[in-house]
This record gives sequence, structure tokens and C-alpha cells, in this order.
Amino acid sequence: MQNKFKSRTFRRVKVKTATETVTQYRKPKPSKAKCAGCGKVLAGVPHQRPYKMQNMPKTLKRPERPYGGVLCSSCMRKQIISEVRK
Amino acid sequence: MIEVGRVCVKIAGRDAGKKCAIVKLLEDNYVLVDGETRRRKCNVKHLEMLSEKVDIKVDAATKDVCKALSVDFKEKKNKEVKAATVRPRKQRKQKVKENKKPAKEVKKKVATKKAVKKDAGKTSTSTTTE
Repeated sequence: MQNKFKSRTFRRVKVKTATETVTQYRKPKPSKAKCAGCGKVLAGVPHQRPYKMQNMPKTLKRPERPYGGVLCSSCMRKQIISEVRK
Repeated sequence: MIEVGRVCVKIAGRDAGKKCAIVKLLEDNYVLVDGETRRRKCNVKHLEMLSEKVDIKVDAATKDVCKALSVDFKEKKNKEVKAATVRPRKQRKQKVKENKKPAKEVKKKVATKKAVKKDAGKTSTSTTTE
């Protein structure tokens, strides 16, 4: 086993081959998307490897509202209210 | 503050940040809203009231609300009904039918062939006997 696989950052998958079952190592997922205002983990934004994200439609990748996928809902609300009350 | 004609901004959902006016008061905490947003029932918590007010009747049509808010209103276009056209494949079939020659008389030909054969046989036998 290579040294980099000793830490648990890589996912282990057992694959059945013709002769034996082998453990293979899958690359780690990117980090979760976070709100630009408060740093909360964003809901409704998947974190997948880029090749999976490419095939996803836009509507699956972010909520359908202004600042969707950038700000959380409460931060977005504050932002809009501050703009309106100027 | 919450009354018919009050201009507000939606702060939740996909219409967030869009201007609208209250059209009707529904159950407590719920109002009917129209304007830049879609015409829909809305919780008062999801609205930011403004100081402006607009003259509209209760349950006013979208057209009037848009006019009062000076928002572009797109009317639905009535689609022109196309006259039924003859499909190209049908047209071709019709043409073929018109240009088709009358069927040949097959029965007669077969009969003549048989007769010829019989004649040929007879002639051959006749030659051998000779």
C-alpha cells in the first residue's frame, strides 16, 4: 500500500475481480459549499467530483433564488432588506 | 401597514427581491400578491413592506396591478390556428393513384401461353411420328 492511502482521506471500495476481491481507492470529494456571509454549510448544493457536477443540470446544483448557492437564505433576506430600506 | 394596495418586496423564494402589491387579504398572516412576482398567496413574514401605496381595487386584475406599479405586462398571445394541411406522404400517395396505369389483363395472357405450349407439343410429336 502506498503511504498516501494509509490516511483515511481516500475512500476504500471493495471490487470483485475474477480471482479475488481487491480494495481500490477513490479520490476524496471536494469540500462543502459555504455561505459567503456567515460561513454556514449551504443546503441544496451538492459537493461531488467535477466530472459528476458537469453532467448535472443547473437547477440541481443550487437553490432557485437570487444569491442561490452563494448566500444562505437568512443572509440573502438580510441583504435584500438592507438594499430596500436605503 | 398590511392593506390592499401596499407595495412590498418579496424576501423569500425564487421571486425574492421583486416588487409586488397586496391585492387581497386572506386568512390571518396570508395575503394575495401580484406585480413583478407571480400572482400568489404569500405569508406576511416573506414580505418587506414599503412606505409607498398604490390605488387598486380588491382582487384587481394583473393588468391593473402592473399598470399601477409601472411594470411591463405581457399579454398572452392568442395563437393562430393553422389550417389543416395535407401531409406530404399522403400527397405522394394521391399522385401515384392518379398516375397509375390500368392493370393489364393477366388471365388472357396465361391462357394464350398454355395454348402455345400445347400447340408446340403437338407439333413435336407430329414430327417424331413422321
